[in-house]
Amino acid sequence: MNQKLAKKNRPKNLNLFTIRLPINALVSILHRATGCALFMILPVILLLLQWSLHSAEDLQLVLAFLHTPFIKLVLMGLAWAFFHHFFAGIRHLAMDVHWMTTLMKARYTSKVVMVLGLLATLVVSITLWL
Amino acid sequence: MWIELLTKRYPGMRAWLSQRLTGLAMALYSVLAVGRFFYLAPSDHAAWVDFFQPLWWRVLTMLFWLALTLHAWLGIRDVFKDYVPNATLRSVLLQGLVILLWLYLAWAAYLLFA
Repeated sequence: MNQKLAKKNRPKNLNLFTIRLPINALVSILHRATGCALFMILPVILLLLQWSLHSAEDLQLVLAFLHTPFIKLVLMGLAWAFFHHFFAGIRHLAMDVHWMTTLMKARYTSKVVMVLGLLATLVVSITLWL
Repeated sequence: MWIELLTKRYPGMRAWLSQRLTGLAMALYSVLAVGRFFYLAPSDHAAWVDFFQPLWWRVLTMLFWLALTLHAWLGIRDVFKDYVPNATLRSVLLQGLVILLWLYLAWAAYLLFA
């Protein structure tokens, strides 16, 4: 009886906006989210590759498409998705060989992953818009 | 002894290792591809076609896509396992995923070798 009551009165918090993710969790869920995003653009990559290789005119069309401002913004997002997935993946590999596995070190490498992903995106963005 | 962990009897261990190895392979290819792109700096259509002309590069790119196929299957499969509790729907989604990845693989092979 007591156990049942305890189960009933257990606090529930399903409001995601009140949950603050620790940086490790943030890097982890973003690794998954960026992986999904990269998976979803696979057909677009293949399509653009096919057109760009097809003929000089088609290559010009592809380049013109990639240079429209809106698509440049999309490319910035995708660049970030790639870099975050890349660096977070390397972090996973490091942890698999038992490197940087204590909580403090893991927090530190999480920050490094976030910063490297954003820095690399910044470099790509500068070359995109200049 | 630990080699035994990678046999069919331990599918989870295999999936785990495959995910890591394919990830590592794709990371190495990505660095190489970016380096090669900046080194050759193709400026027109002919140069872009030349970029994909060497057989070794096309083979390497195909291996990259093979790794990507396996990596995407393992990753998206995990996502479905975590977020789609309905078994029927999940099995439909997984079958769709497999078909899609086979199509992409055939498409990539066609682009590179046809």
